[in-house]
Order: sequence, then structure tokens, then C-alpha cells
Amino acid sequence: MDSSWFKKSVPKMVRTKQEQEFDETSEKITWKQTETLNAFHIISLSEGFDLSPLFEEKKREEKEELRFATTLPASSVISTLEEVAKAGKFRIKKSDSMVRLQGEESGRKGKLAIAAEIFAVTPSFLVVEVKKDSGDTLEYNQFCSKELRPALKDIVWTSPVDGSTQRLLD
Amino acid sequence: MGCYWSKKAKTPGYEDPAVLAAETPFTVNEVEALHELFKKLSSSIFDDGLIHKEEFQLALFKNKDKRNLFADRIFDLFDLKRNGVIEFGEFVRSLGVFHPNAPVEDKTAFAFRLYDLRQTGYIEREELKEMVLALLHESELVLSDDVIEVIVDKTYSEADKKGDGRIDQEEWREFVLKHPSLIKNMTLPYLKDITLAFPSFVMSSEVEDSEI
Repeated sequence: MDSSWFKKSVPKMVRTKQEQEFDETSEKITWKQTETLNAFHIISLSEGFDLSPLFEEKKREEKEELRFATTLPASSVISTLEEVAKAGKFRIKKSDSMVRLQGEESGRKGKLAIAAEIFAVTPSFLVVEVKKDSGDTLEYNQFCSKELRPALKDIVWTSPVDGSTQRLLD
Repeated sequence: MGCYWSKKAKTPGYEDPAVLAAETPFTVNEVEALHELFKKLSSSIFDDGLIHKEEFQLALFKNKDKRNLFADRIFDLFDLKRNGVIEFGEFVRSLGVFHPNAPVEDKTAFAFRLYDLRQTGYIEREELKEMVLALLHESELVLSDDVIEVIVDKTYSEADKKGDGRIDQEEWREFVLKHPSLIKNMTLPYLKDITLAFPSFVMSSEVEDSEI
């Protein structure tokens, strides 16, 4: 059991709750196989279900979730994220289907943490969902546009112009 | 308490916040905050204290004419009386299902009714395929029919345990138990912070009757 709150002295650098959770949950990540997405999962991604615009003025572009598809294996997605982490000086924790990045320096709202989860629609067609775990949203958006999106350009799949999606069945 | 609220009861579908709080996961303060939100949404195009479809679309997509299959289903389910508009009581009760503290059984049942497009009491294979196509269309993703069939088949065979070509409520419940993330879209975490988003209500509930 965690008995840190019994300690009498406050640690010199007060860590935010999210930073502590990052370390704890990362240890607990069960190294699970890439989760399979079924049709109902796919449907639940619709923006018609996202009622958050009713409650806040944020534009959709500022949303904290980034989703893309890829036909490359999960290992390619993970190594791309590892390169992004190295370049941006992020600590990285990973499993077969999940990657967590945490900035080494505190930003405006503590350290920026990003989580990426990999789902399989078919064995050769994956969907990756990236979202902010903690930290400042502006910093996250900057990270996405300056560091993440350019790095993902080579692995993101877009509908082929000639409609040839047969190989996705392999 | 009775005098103050009866003046507001003129709007059709308005219900006493205390009653709504007792029947949903919201507190009275949260229901009042939702009323502030409701007033804003229901007066954006037609100032009649009711949320019309265009006002719903405007709020969701910033475009009153944007059509979306799933937004349509949400609107229809919120419209409990099926009179084409969402009243305040319906608004609060329906949002209650999306509260983090709402029972999983309620969320599961709501999702089933959402996906039962033609309200036959079953989710038919064609309905599932129609929804997948709608999602792909919305995401501007084009997949060949073969791929879509594979995805729908895999899902359907796993969910349709009885093999009768349709998913009934019991099969859906078991399917959700196996894949709890399927009803992730049935929880809106910020409903817990609704009073932070609409602090103005704090002043108005302490104001004299003349303010109305």
C-alpha cells in the first residue's frame, strides 16, 4: 500500500498527481496484445456521439484526440513514436499496444504527458489514438503540429484514389 | 420553494430541479447549471425554450444544417415524448445516463436503443453495416465493400451468439460485458464539473422573483 502520505516532510519538488500516476500505471501496464476493434468500436468514434461541443466553446481542431489509420505493423508505429520521444526529450514507456510519453521538464501545467493506443481493425489495418494525458493543452497542440504530425506523415494511411483496399484483408 | 419555481414552469417540459435531481445522478445545483445551458441551446434559433433539431445540430457541429446519423439517433432518444423537440426535463434525464455515476445497465440499454436504428427491438446486420458506412463516410475513409463485410461479419458472429441473424438486448448485454470499452461513448466525464462550466447560475438562484 502506498503510505507516502504518512511521511512527515514534504518532498523538495512537489510532483503532480498525474506525474506520480504516470510512473505507477506504467509499471502496471499489462503487456497486452493489440486490442481488436470491432464494428461497434468503430461506430462509437463518430463525432455525432461527442456531445462535448454542447458544453464548451472549443473548436474541434483544438480537441485533444488525434486518430489515424495505418497499414504498417504496430512495431513501426511504436518505433516512430520512440523517435519522436527522443527528438523531443520525452521519457517513454511502452507495451505492445500502448505508448506513453512524458516530457522531462514541467510546462505551464506540469509535465506534458501523451498516450498513444494501438487498435487492430484487421490484422493489417490498425487505428492509433493519441491523446493528452496531462499538462497544458496549448503545449500539447504545439507538440502535435510541430513534432508529432510531421513524424507520422510516412505511416498514416489514407484512402487510395483508385479504391484498392483489397490488401487490407490480408 | 414552491412559489419561486412555479413562475418558471410556464415553459413546456420544464420540471422542478428537485424532482430531476432525485431521479438522475445530478444534484439540484447541477440541474440548475444544466438549465443555464439548456436556455442557451434552446434559444439559439427559435426562442421557445425547446431544443429543435437545427439548434442541436448547430450546437454540436456549429452548422445547423449538418446531418449526422448518430446525432439524429441521440436527438431521437433524448426526445422521450417523440414530439420533435427536446424539452428541459428530457434533456436532463437523458444526459443523466451519460453521467459517470449512472449505472452501467442504463448506459448499455441506451446504447442498444441508439444502435437499433429502426427500433425493432433488435440490431439487425443491415443496421450495423449502415452505421459502419455512415462512420466511414463521416471520416472520409473509403474502404472496399469486401473489407467492410469482413469487419461486420467478425463483429456480428461474435455478438449474435444465438445465430438468428440479429442481436437482441441480452446478446448485447453479454457483448458489452466482454468489451466494456464499447460503451465508452456513453460517459461524458465533464458532466461532473458542470457547475464549473456554468457558474452564472449561482447568482440567479439567489435573486428575487422579480428577476424572472
